[in-house]
Amino acid sequence: MARREDFDVCVIGTGAGGGVIADQLTAAGFRVVALQRGPHLRTGDFVDDDELKVIWRDELFSPDQLETWRPDESSPTETGQFNMTGHCVGGTMLHWSAWSWRFRPDEFRVLSEEGPVEGASLADWPIDYEEMEPYYERAEWDFGVSGDAGANPFGAPRRRGYPNPPHPDRSAGLQFKAGARKLGYHPFPTPIAANSQPHGGRPGCLYGGTCGGYGCPIGAKGTTFAVSLPKAQRTGLLDLRPNSLAFEIKIGRGGRARSVHYIDQSTREEQEVRARHVFVCGNAVGTPHLLLMSKSDSFPDGLANSSGLVGRNLMLHVFTAASFVFDKGSRVFTGLGSHAAIDDLHASDPSRGFIRGGVVGSDNFVVKQPILHALWRGSSYPGSDRDWGAGFKDYLRTFSRTASVLSVGEDLPMEANRVDPDPDVTDEWGLPVPRMTHRQHPNDVAMSSWHADRLLEIGDATGAVERWIALRVTDEEPRKGSSHLHGTCRMGDDPSRSVVDRWCRSHDIPNLWVADASVFPTSGGYNPTLTILANAYRVADYFVSEAKKGAL
Amino acid sequence: MLPLPVLDPQPRRSRLSRREFFARSALCGSTLWLLWSLPRPLALKAARQSAERLVFSEAEWKLVEAISGRIIPTDEDPGAVEAGCVNFIDKALAYEEADLRRLYQAALRAIDGLAEARFGQPFVDQPTERQDEILLALESGDVPGWSSDRASPSEFFQIICAHTIIGFLADPSYGGNRDYAGWKLIGYPGPRHEFGGYTPKQMIGEEKIQTVWGTEID
Ligand SMILES: Cc1cc2nc3c(=O)[nH]c(=O)nc-3n(C[C@H](O)[C@H](O)[C@H](O)COP(=O)(O)OP(=O)(O)OC[C@H]3O[C@@H](n4cnc5c(N)ncnc54)[C@H](O)[C@@H]3O)c2cc1C
Repeated sequence: MARREDFDVCVIGTGAGGGVIADQLTAAGFRVVALQRGPHLRTGDFVDDDELKVIWRDELFSPDQLETWRPDESSPTETGQFNMTGHCVGGTMLHWSAWSWRFRPDEFRVLSEEGPVEGASLADWPIDYEEMEPYYERAEWDFGVSGDAGANPFGAPRRRGYPNPPHPDRSAGLQFKAGARKLGYHPFPTPIAANSQPHGGRPGCLYGGTCGGYGCPIGAKGTTFAVSLPKAQRTGLLDLRPNSLAFEIKIGRGGRARSVHYIDQSTREEQEVRARHVFVCGNAVGTPHLLLMSKSDSFPDGLANSSGLVGRNLMLHVFTAASFVFDKGSRVFTGLGSHAAIDDLHASDPSRGFIRGGVVGSDNFVVKQPILHALWRGSSYPGSDRDWGAGFKDYLRTFSRTASVLSVGEDLPMEANRVDPDPDVTDEWGLPVPRMTHRQHPNDVAMSSWHADRLLEIGDATGAVERWIALRVTDEEPRKGSSHLHGTCRMGDDPSRSVVDRWCRSHDIPNLWVADASVFPTSGGYNPTLTILANAYRVADYFVSEAKKGAL
Repeated sequence: MLPLPVLDPQPRRSRLSRREFFARSALCGSTLWLLWSLPRPLALKAARQSAERLVFSEAEWKLVEAISGRIIPTDEDPGAVEAGCVNFIDKALAYEEADLRRLYQAALRAIDGLAEARFGQPFVDQPTERQDEILLALESGDVPGWSSDRASPSEFFQIICAHTIIGFLADPSYGGNRDYAGWKLIGYPGPRHEFGGYTPKQMIGEEKIQTVWGTEID
């Protein structure tokens, strides 16, 4: 081993969770090394991005990602790229759409609210909304969320408003709001972590239309890439190592994590780095994958796994979406991923035939770009005779009059849904690829079907001349991956029923921490990232105060 | 420094078979199903360098051009022919999609064979209704004498469809979308960052939008 320096903390992964940890711990004076698979892109790299390169070929973010999926243990796996993960400095957050929600108080106590559900492993979080509230506020201010506090009558209570006013409307959003009001819903501006005005030393958004799926060419979008990591680097205490793929955490004397072994992807050589504490923040696929690859005689089932729950309870969210065509321009190729939302469908109501719910965002769930519009119409687009030829050309002509709505629903955790290293398939680095075993709960399917009907009603109310379901969860259309990954190292007070404690510290290994969405016991009916950020601030605060007491 | 002991670099990941990923025709939560049939940066360079034939013979070029012209036909607006989709495909096959060259060549031969057998003339000399008939046969997988084991007739049809559509709508620097024909048709003004994005009035249709080719759209 050529390099074997000692650090206070090693952070693996620099996305939402890892980025905040690196920032907060360097700010408190700790020496941190951050290992990140993939390159360190620069803001300037995003200026000339085009749809073919970025959306379709994913050239910037994860060209070497490989994984497998199967619905259950007795089925063969499919090999491919199923999750949308950014393998680069800043992680997946670098190309996120920045919808930024606080979970509602009930989302932290789903088991208590609903009681046990057959086939699901519902749990309460060991923490509640009150404990998270100040950290949500900090995340909103650091990442520059733009929104209208109080405009969502169903949202979580808050002590302080958003740092930035809401973004301006776009035609499709106005149409959505009008339609939603007709149905008695309560539309409000989607809270988005992109500056609507200069904030935090970063400029306001230009509304160029390439937000979700793209890196922001001016840094207006709130990301750990633009906010946390530069700040951590300015302290001089962060050693940021891109192209560093961790493959094993080694345990030393006393059962403490001692070092992390990684592949330097530029030289293909193995390296080792020592640290007194290790924070695994590789997302809900990467984190259990690394813990389970780190097997040894003393840990034959992988690290932090005395509960047997590492990798289990993978949650992917229930995405349901409808596409609309209007008779006039919708301008969805401008602006952000979403400008308006409703939360009226969120509260749990078992009389619908399912529990839990989710938020609905208009008016563009995937960034509206020409090739995506042409090639991805969704499974129930009416008229397969329009796949090519004159009918298809007419479909192409609808581009500037289209919009869509997306509901983000809470899926139920199931122990059988899991991530583990695939014993049969290796990647170009010789590592076993992450294998997902995942099947939807009947509640997910019922939710998606009910939401699909509501979304079509919204289409009618907005005066859409055509509308159809573009995305849903059915038994025939299983989810094989997601952009929202949660649940594989759940937090809890009981070491036999959880992987990490309420401080996201492993029950088994006292200097091993997890600070990404792996720790979510349930997935919530909102996009997850503001909660990942807030939780990472909370964990960092605890770490710093314990360290000051000498308790670590 | 030690080379990796256990982690011998493996050959590049095995590609999904085309059958597999076209079977997943919806995105299934991932936008990446077409990843393997798209041109890489070299093709971009090549396209900038030339609009000359690099891969196709003259006859193949004409045939691909004619097929693309049925996928996105010309009406009162330009279609795939005017947009130069065949040039986009030629450049893709010249470089990163070089492994699809043989498939294209075999498929094009079979298509002409089918045209000769049915109508006694090559594809390009047929009226458009007959061309469509042949493409429908291709799409439904009904092509006698098909010799490629790389892809079935219907899979090849999906590939050439996707290539045509991408060539029509991708940035013109990739060799297609000539004179912004694709973007003009659909009312997309082009990437706007270098123009400073959009104003709030443009976002609600109260102000016209300048396109990257210098005209205005409502
Ligand atoms: C297109 C898109 C749009 C999205 N929009 C939204 C949105 O609007 N709102 C929202 O809340 N969320 C959104 N998300 C989701 C959001 O990006 C994720 O929730 C968030 O980034 C997860 O943070 P994380 O820290 O858990 O992991 P990530 O951001 O995924 O970061 C983990 C990093 O760890 C690295 N890593 C993993 N294993 C290793 C290893 N062994 N060695 C070294 N590095 C490793 C990975 O390469 C990755 O870069 C979106 C996602 C996508 C793809």
